[in-house]
Amino acid sequence: MTFVLLMAAREFRASWRRLLFFFVCVAIGVGAIVALRSIIQSVRSGLTGEARAMIASDVVIQSNRAWTPEVRRDLDAQLAKTPVAARQDSIEMATMVRAERGAAVARMVELRGVESGFPFYGRFTLQGGAPYSHDLLVGRGTLVRPELLAQLGIRVGDRIMIGGQPFTVRGVIEQEPGGSAGGFSLGSRVLVDLADLRGTGLLTFGSRATHQILLKIAEENAALRLVREVRANFRERFVTARSFRSTENQIGESLERAENFLSLVGFIIVVLGGIGVWSVTRVFVQQKIPSVAILKCLGASTRQVLAAYVAQVALLALAGSALGVGLAAVGIRSIPASLTAALGRVAYGLTLSAVLQGLAVGLLVSLLFALVPLLEVRRVKPLLLLRGFNLAAAGQPWTGSLVSRLRARLAALDLLQAATGVLVAIALVVVASWQAGSWRAGAAVTIGFAGIAAVLYGAAFVLVRAVSPLASMRWFPLRHAVVSLRRPGNQTRVILLAVGLGSFFVLGVRSLQNDLIAEFALALDPKGADMFLIDVQRDQAGGVRALLVDRQDPGAPPPRLVPILRARVTGVKGREVTLDSFSDVRGRGSLGREYGITYRNALEENERVTEGRFWTGEPPLDPDAPLHEVSIEQSIHERFGIEVGDTMRFDVLGRIMQARVTSVRRVEWADARSGGFMFVFRPGALDKAPQTFVGFLKGPADLTARLRLQYDLVTKYPNVTAVDGREIIGRIQKVLDNAVLAISIVGGIALLSGTLILIGAVAMTRYQRVYEAAILRTLGASTRTLGTMLAIEYCALGLLAGAIGAAGAAALTWGVTRHVLDIAWRPAPVLLVSGALLTTALVAVVGVAASTEVLRKKPLGALRAE
Amino acid sequence: MIELRGVSKTVPSGDGTLTILHPLDLSIPDRHVVAITGPSGSGKSTLLGLIAGLDAPTSGQILVGGTDITTLGEDALARLRGTHIGFVFQFFHLLPSLTALENVRVPMEIAGARDAERRGRALLDEVGLSERGHHYPSQLSGGEQQRVAIARALANDPPLLLADEPTGNLDSTTGRQVIDLLLQVNRSRGTTLVLVTHDADLAALADLTIGLRDGAIASRTARPPAS
Ligand SMILES: Nc1ncnc2c1ncn2[C@@H]1O[C@H](COP(=O)(O)OP(=O)(O)OP(=O)(O)O)[C@@H](O)[C@H]1O
Ligand SMILES: [Mg+2]
Repeated sequence: MTFVLLMAAREFRASWRRLLFFFVCVAIGVGAIVALRSIIQSVRSGLTGEARAMIASDVVIQSNRAWTPEVRRDLDAQLAKTPVAARQDSIEMATMVRAERGAAVARMVELRGVESGFPFYGRFTLQGGAPYSHDLLVGRGTLVRPELLAQLGIRVGDRIMIGGQPFTVRGVIEQEPGGSAGGFSLGSRVLVDLADLRGTGLLTFGSRATHQILLKIAEENAALRLVREVRANFRERFVTARSFRSTENQIGESLERAENFLSLVGFIIVVLGGIGVWSVTRVFVQQKIPSVAILKCLGASTRQVLAAYVAQVALLALAGSALGVGLAAVGIRSIPASLTAALGRVAYGLTLSAVLQGLAVGLLVSLLFALVPLLEVRRVKPLLLLRGFNLAAAGQPWTGSLVSRLRARLAALDLLQAATGVLVAIALVVVASWQAGSWRAGAAVTIGFAGIAAVLYGAAFVLVRAVSPLASMRWFPLRHAVVSLRRPGNQTRVILLAVGLGSFFVLGVRSLQNDLIAEFALALDPKGADMFLIDVQRDQAGGVRALLVDRQDPGAPPPRLVPILRARVTGVKGREVTLDSFSDVRGRGSLGREYGITYRNALEENERVTEGRFWTGEPPLDPDAPLHEVSIEQSIHERFGIEVGDTMRFDVLGRIMQARVTSVRRVEWADARSGGFMFVFRPGALDKAPQTFVGFLKGPADLTARLRLQYDLVTKYPNVTAVDGREIIGRIQKVLDNAVLAISIVGGIALLSGTLILIGAVAMTRYQRVYEAAILRTLGASTRTLGTMLAIEYCALGLLAGAIGAAGAAALTWGVTRHVLDIAWRPAPVLLVSGALLTTALVAVVGVAASTEVLRKKPLGALRAE
Repeated sequence: MIELRGVSKTVPSGDGTLTILHPLDLSIPDRHVVAITGPSGSGKSTLLGLIAGLDAPTSGQILVGGTDITTLGEDALARLRGTHIGFVFQFFHLLPSLTALENVRVPMEIAGARDAERRGRALLDEVGLSERGHHYPSQLSGGEQQRVAIARALANDPPLLLADEPTGNLDSTTGRQVIDLLLQVNRSRGTTLVLVTHDADLAALADLTIGLRDGAIASRTARPPAS
């Protein structure tokens, strides 16, 4: 035992420089895992602690319809059975505000009306340190976010118009209770008194407001029971409930998924590092064969020698992992603020669990990857020493036919080594699954890696075969470059594997990123509608339309106002399915939800009938007809088995109506800017029912004209919300930019580890090259010849690795866009070709640069050291 | 006592087999100095390797101290070498990543000896290298390396010392020093010494000289009892 440790320590002392790179590989991978996990865990612990503050209460009961007296009564009865410590109402809605005086600008905001005592949990932080109190809101006061002040060009004390009524800005909200973990929102927060909100004209029929009852319930079990019961008893009346616990769980789950996904990325980086470890260990063992033989000759058992090297690897892996933790600590500190802002205000730091997992993965992966090459020492026979052992003789030369090579391989196949290989593969799947939190993902990643590794391995073989004839060329550098590629113990496979995987990963991420961005850019199609109106009342429709037409640029397509009603499916009588009651419908999952429906007598541009016949051009039906006509969307047809000819029963705002399915339409959702409806009715039935309109229009191109239009709309129709699609897309773009930045960072780390593996692979074989170069030097080769030799060798390797990586990346993007993201695949020849060329250049530069020692070293020194 | 009974060695070569050593018998009494001579390729190193258990014979038995080492497994052989056999190579074969002193200590550490440090220094002192203990092999001359290798071979005070052309890479003066060292060990510790050499002078000092030719013993010359 002492011998093993002593030997490990001494060898370590001598070889740490050579193994430095091993160390860095592990460090980077572990650093990635620890950093990514820590961030997410910090976010998670920061948010879960604030779940109560985020909903400002213990339980929220809410509905997107105004409370009817009956619902209210029944809810009160329900609440009477629960130990409620405090309750209050609140309303949230998106609406437009404008400055009373000053710039003609209107902005969409997220308005919230609250009562005294709000919030039950959490605290508002106001600018200037003023304490929050409800008195600030009472009597048409309002609190707004700093960005709104800037947008409207006003100051505290000025007045803004909300729903046609003036409100005085009495303070600026710096932070809301529970932080701002919502991420994406339609507008900035505006807080008013609930009574004042009710006094505006905003709560008209059909307006998109969320009506809430906030409850403070000391007893957690009672709170959870209440949530369960409200959900069960009031669902049919459009009422839902959630507790701070469910908020917490929801956040927790999605963060856990994010954590596992990111950790998988970290794991992939560790595996890249592991490949580096493998290649280092392989060359290392080869160089150590004489030492192993000597040790065996001096009486050391195979187990002792193996243990000494495993101990060394473990030591290095631990040190590398520790360095990785350090890197993560530094890395977390230097994350751009714009990235973390999206995740909310959280104190970032290393978490113990992330550190432990990182250390464990680093150690495990290193040992796993090192084990197979290390087992090689078992085969070393001390007999070697009798024949003036020569390093270059290690390994088999890369010649002979595939079959003979395979046969030789099989003959030399060491059962234990093979078994270990299989075990290591299994262990890798296990570690990957552990990191991904899912067996499927773990297996997929491992198999994907194994697949591309196999391709690269095969490519290495093909490359060596393909260039072999060149070995008889007259040009010396070329001939020797070829010889280097296939020399015994060559680095061809290692470099192809490392660089190929690295470029595959980086190019894959980049081209996926391009596809995603292109997909969003499509949404900005200049011809399509880019402004949307919500909550236009029936009596406002004419006036709104006239205003829009007046403001549009000449030649723009006329604005469209589409009636929209809310309805629920309460029964189906059909060939395939029969659902008698609403509870049957609810059993069918989302079929039981509330749908927005419309009626019209023509198809939209993005629609196509796939079955039956649409009523284009036919006269409206009699409103009192017993059976109406409805056209359903393809997905309804496919998911719920509803066919043409089936009869469906709808509850449209309390009115029950029967309709026969006369056609199935496919809506091109990717092009849904003019809306997409699951259910379209034939005109007649719904014309007289209460309804609101949504509007689609191509707004003026000029930004001031757009702002002016929004402003005038709000001034004239305070309840109407005008959404500027460009602004929303701008916001999405920002979120996307952050995602792209994050992806680029991860891709950069992968590139870095790929480069490191390359340097390592080059450095590892350097000792052998220094010796060879010294001999060639002695025989008269110039530095230039040696340099050209190296350049040719590395260019060939780089080109092949880059080409395979690019091909793999194209395949990956194709698969992911088609089957995972469901967006169009755009071949990116420029990116891929330049990626492959860059890889070539990188390999050539790094390869030659890392070999400068070969070129510079005096031959005598090299020969003596040997 | 070392006994070789019908020991032969063949290796597969192409379609047939190549005979390196034809069946041979040899016994070496304890405390003797035996020189193995013969032209290059005659099988000297192979024979020495077989005695050390570095290789297995194709046929025959090799008894070292009464044990048939051909029946031992790899690890048992390693243990035997560690404690009973010292081996000095023609090409030194020191561990390049270890200092001279550490190289000497290794066999003792493998055997689990307690006083490796002290004894290692004493051995280096014995071979005249007490000042060079902290140097690495690449910092030592060939003769110095060879002396470290001898010190290492003696580390566990083995009853049998095998040396394959210990002076083959050294100039005659240094070679002489090395030979003297080995003979002195034989005398003072009673170590059985088997050396492969081309050096006629050295062979003349041996109790028994075995001449090999084409893998067979061509001559056995015992030194006259007193000269
Ligand atoms: N594994 C092997 N495969 C093929 N031939 C071998 C093998 N081992 C030894 N030989 C051959 O056996 C013969 C004897 O080798 P050995 O090394 O014992 O010779 P030697 O007497 O020590 O020669 P030298 O004085 O040159 O060191 C040589 O011809 C050698 O080529
Ligand atoms: Mg020899």
